[in-house]
Amino acid sequence: MIKLSGIRKSFGRHEVLQGIDLTVNKGEVVAILGPSGSGKTTLLRCINYLEKPSDGEIRIGDFSLDVRHAGKKDIYALRQRSAMVFQQYNLFSHKTALENVIEGLIVVKKVGKEEARKRGIELLEKVGLGAKLDAYPSQLSGGQQQRVGIARALALEPEVILFDEPTSALDPELVGEVLAVIRRIAKEGITMIIVTHEMGFAQDVANHVVFMDGGVIVEEGDPAELFGNPKEERTKQFLKRFTSEYSYSI
Amino acid sequence: MEYGFDINYVFDFIPKLLSTLNITLLIVAGAIGLGLIIGFLVALPRLYNVPVLRNVSMVYVSFFRGTPILIQLFLFYYGLPEILKLVSVDISKVPVIYFVILTFGLNVAAYVSETIRAAVQAVNRGQVEAAYAVGMTGYQAFTRIVLPQAVAIAIPVFANLVIAMLKDTSLAFTLGVMEMTGKAQTLGSLSQHFIETYIALALIYLVMSIALERLMLAAERRLSRHLRRDSNEKNRFFTRKRKRLTLGRLTGELKLDNKEVPRYEA
Ligand SMILES: Nc1ncnc2c1ncn2[C@@H]1O[C@H](COP(=O)(O)OP(=O)(O)O)[C@@H](O)[C@H]1O
Ligand SMILES: [Mg+2]
Repeated sequence: MIKLSGIRKSFGRHEVLQGIDLTVNKGEVVAILGPSGSGKTTLLRCINYLEKPSDGEIRIGDFSLDVRHAGKKDIYALRQRSAMVFQQYNLFSHKTALENVIEGLIVVKKVGKEEARKRGIELLEKVGLGAKLDAYPSQLSGGQQQRVGIARALALEPEVILFDEPTSALDPELVGEVLAVIRRIAKEGITMIIVTHEMGFAQDVANHVVFMDGGVIVEEGDPAELFGNPKEERTKQFLKRFTSEYSYSI
Repeated sequence: MEYGFDINYVFDFIPKLLSTLNITLLIVAGAIGLGLIIGFLVALPRLYNVPVLRNVSMVYVSFFRGTPILIQLFLFYYGLPEILKLVSVDISKVPVIYFVILTFGLNVAAYVSETIRAAVQAVNRGQVEAAYAVGMTGYQAFTRIVLPQAVAIAIPVFANLVIAMLKDTSLAFTLGVMEMTGKAQTLGSLSQHFIETYIALALIYLVMSIALERLMLAAERRLSRHLRRDSNEKNRFFTRKRKRLTLGRLTGELKLDNKEVPRYEA
């Protein structure tokens, strides 16, 4: 279970997160929606301490961290319990697909090389890249790179995988292959928090949907409820604008 | 026509000059070794933005890049013993070549530190975050993700540095060090065949520069294989483009003695 309590974050005088409370149960897929600048990325980055929150408490599984007394060790411990899939993939460009996937296993989890390799190959096969083990990121398409990114996250067997708009840097024809992989691993009961603008995908895959705006959670609920019958005015506006843009582009 | 041009002198002088090659190489190796270590240390405060030390680094780099190396050589050779005398250390018996290696080493360090700084900053910040996200410590992220990529980026600049250093060793003769240029002076005076000596000398430097260039290119190829695409159409295009770029660098280097650190795009 992941539990965020009162997460706040300011950049200078600008308070980007104004007290976020969120609970994600084990095996649940939570989609976070919201307009650009609403603080979605910052929230994900606070969960693994790529940004230091100004206040609040983060609990992942049996580990809990109060940001006011967090030392280096606590931060490393927290990070080992989550993994992240980035919008720009952020693969290690001097390492092959397989090396990207097993780097964390070898360096952080201290798994033996042979075992790590075996596990890495399995994971790359799972995301459909069994034939690209030795390819460098520069030799892969965006969709393939992102699938390596997902395999890299899976390799660590984290308690939660954080996805930050995993398909928004991709050419439209490559979005499907990545969403398909995420769908598949969602079925395996891996806990995920996904920031996305793919409304159809969110509605299908998520067990719980969160709408953020202006650094707060405006509304949350199950997908049928939030998409079908939003309560807050801001949610309605956002969904209306988004679905009209969406249908327009088709 | 006692002293007319005679090509045979060139062939005769080459082995004689090569007998002092070990001195030249000792200066290059010593200076580069020293320069790498000190350069790395000088780069650190600026990479990690350490308040006062950062400024010390900047002054250090400006001094060594902004003054002629010949002046630096004189300053250290004549100045250092005087300064150390103030704290009762006598280094007047220390062989000249150590002063030469020290000065060149400190000079190379300034360029090395700038190269390291630019190369490290060129490594995409997102990859460092990805390293943190998989749970690596700052040290692990630096040594496993940033450093290997920075080294690959820095190799071409570093190659230029080594070649420039090789040629700068010829300045050591001004302090009376018998390296190749010093030897050439002597041979020229004795035989009065100056042109032939300098042709021989130029040939040796040229061959060594080209050999070094080749060596560095091989290292560069090896370290940056992740930037190449393989076994498809794009590959042939890519290698052809690389070859042209490299040739351009070689000629530019030999003509201009260019030590400037290029700007890298992140
Ligand atoms: N490193 C930063 N420094 C200053 N402001 C930032 C930084 N990162 C994000 N912000 C600001 O925080 C707000 C939320 O950004 P972000 O979390 O990226 O939103 P979203 O992902 O929902 O688009 C924006 O106004 C953005 O300009
Ligand atoms: Mg964002």
